[in-house]
Amino acid sequence: MSVCRSVRCLFSAVSLPKPSSAPKRSFHASAPRTARRRRPHYPSIKAEDLKLLNQAAETQYPKYDTSETALLAKRYTPEQIAAIKAAESAIDARDVVTQGQNRTDPWLLPYEDDLAEVDPVTDHAPKLSPEDIPGKKTFREANEVERDEAIARIANENLAKMYPDGIPEGQLNPKQEQQLQEAMEAAFTQAALDPRATFYSENPAAAQALADTRHSIVQPDLPRIDNRMVRQTRRLSTEEAEDPRQKRLLQYLDWDKQKLRTIRVKTLVVHSVTNQTRMGKIQSLYFLTIAGNQDGLLGVGEGKSVEPEEGRKQSVMSAIRNMRPIPRYENRTIFGDLEKKVGATKVQLFARPPGFGLRVQHLIFELARAAGLQDLAARTPRSRNKMNVIKATWEALCNQKLPDEIARARGKKLVDARKVYYGGSVH
Amino acid sequence: MSLVNLAHVCSHLQNASKARLGLTSIPVSKLHVNLMMGLQREGFLSSVTLGGTAPPKPFLLQTTTDPEQHEKLAQKLSSEPWNAYPVPSAEDGTPLAKDPLGNEQLYQVSVPENPARRRLWLGLKYWNSEPVLKNMKLVSKPTRRIWLTSEDLGRITRTREASYVKGLTRPGECMFVTTDRGILEARECVERKLGGMVLCRVW
Repeated sequence: MSVCRSVRCLFSAVSLPKPSSAPKRSFHASAPRTARRRRPHYPSIKAEDLKLLNQAAETQYPKYDTSETALLAKRYTPEQIAAIKAAESAIDARDVVTQGQNRTDPWLLPYEDDLAEVDPVTDHAPKLSPEDIPGKKTFREANEVERDEAIARIANENLAKMYPDGIPEGQLNPKQEQQLQEAMEAAFTQAALDPRATFYSENPAAAQALADTRHSIVQPDLPRIDNRMVRQTRRLSTEEAEDPRQKRLLQYLDWDKQKLRTIRVKTLVVHSVTNQTRMGKIQSLYFLTIAGNQDGLLGVGEGKSVEPEEGRKQSVMSAIRNMRPIPRYENRTIFGDLEKKVGATKVQLFARPPGFGLRVQHLIFELARAAGLQDLAARTPRSRNKMNVIKATWEALCNQKLPDEIARARGKKLVDARKVYYGGSVH
Repeated sequence: MSLVNLAHVCSHLQNASKARLGLTSIPVSKLHVNLMMGLQREGFLSSVTLGGTAPPKPFLLQTTTDPEQHEKLAQKLSSEPWNAYPVPSAEDGTPLAKDPLGNEQLYQVSVPENPARRRLWLGLKYWNSEPVLKNMKLVSKPTRRIWLTSEDLGRITRTREASYVKGLTRPGECMFVTTDRGILEARECVERKLGGMVLCRVW
């Protein structure tokens, strides 16, 4: 029996003050806050508001009237209509008004549409299959009489489309006359090119299908979008400002702009430097930038200028120009351990197993990421001058001794045991 | 077995390769000879020759035949190419017939009688204007020799550290161990389950 229990037993007989709902002993100096009142999950609506709501729901989502049900009966079977009616009665229009919200599920359409119309841009064009043609589907090449007849008929149809109110008669001014002439020519050319003129079918439905684009396997062209917004946002490649330095760089690399955009560029070192002349001090900014494609190319570039933007651009351009291939083992780490000394800075890089990550200092991390290395460890046991660390790392990565080269130099056969063991599927 | 002399050899080979020498010499001892043979087996050296103070004739200049002789040989080989096969020899090594291409030329190196005047001449190798043997460092020191078991060596050749000896992590790094079966490369020791005293690492 514990001590507290014995105490409780002792006091049980004596009438003790009842514990109030508020905690007796507060652990805080401030006054305790009462518990927040639970809010209902749905808003409480007053009766007159409910009436208004019902009215709104009825006007927004009206019930099917008799003419509509008659139309439905034409299209659907009685079972389907029964299902539609059951669904209609199951869903309260008021609920749709109060609780209806847009879909957020992964299968929602990426655009807003009530799916009432076919949009030529976002929707697939309607298609018809041979089963949709009633009757026989045979046709043959038309003879001359049939051809002339068909051309005349189709040209008439085309003209009727161009002049829905009928061809103007009586006196015409020369402009109108020329217009009519052109329209007639166009109608005849179209008619001559129409497949209905070249082929003849006993079945008029099959003949119609020849000219129907819904039967064609060729997708119809997208409609021309010609509104003000599109015109204003349209950009031509010639309109873009051409940087002469970038142009020269692209020529030097034999690349296009698209490829240049895939290069990851980062400025790692910025500091101001001073040139002391007899006129006084000239301050300028120094930039050191790295560039890499994250797939085995890495470059380091420097730039210096009185104007910051100019110096930065210089360094970026020289970094991209200086990009050199970095040999990577299994596209993730280096071939063995590397060591490089630049000035008083010594950088040691160590190859690591898959999944190790980049456990290196920030500058080497940026370089490794730009080069596409994933598993690496490093030490900078001596000076950690930023510029020298970057340069030493870059040079160490560029000047790796490859196993193939070593094998050729020694006249030995070297085999990557990991690759052989995993049957060449290590990466 | 003085490791001091071996240390001198190590630095000498590093210096010679830095200076891009093609041929260099080291003092002769059984340890040096065996180690250099091991280096040659691993492809770090092109030739190991015992000689005097003067360097031996380079390999390319040793077996020179005069151009007329060469012409004759070529003609004979083009007309009767089967002569290129070696002449069959008896079990004791004496050839059964005369070589139709003429006698093999052997080059005699004059080795001084006085052992103190003997030198071991080493041919250094270079590939892509880089020395093949760039670094050579002692592992055992004259004052602190290190013996490793074959388990330790196995760990070391798998790039792990064992018995305070760093693993072979650099690409193409080799370590030579002197065992009771001679001087062997560390990987060969692991294969044959031999331990021994570590001499030096080369890369």
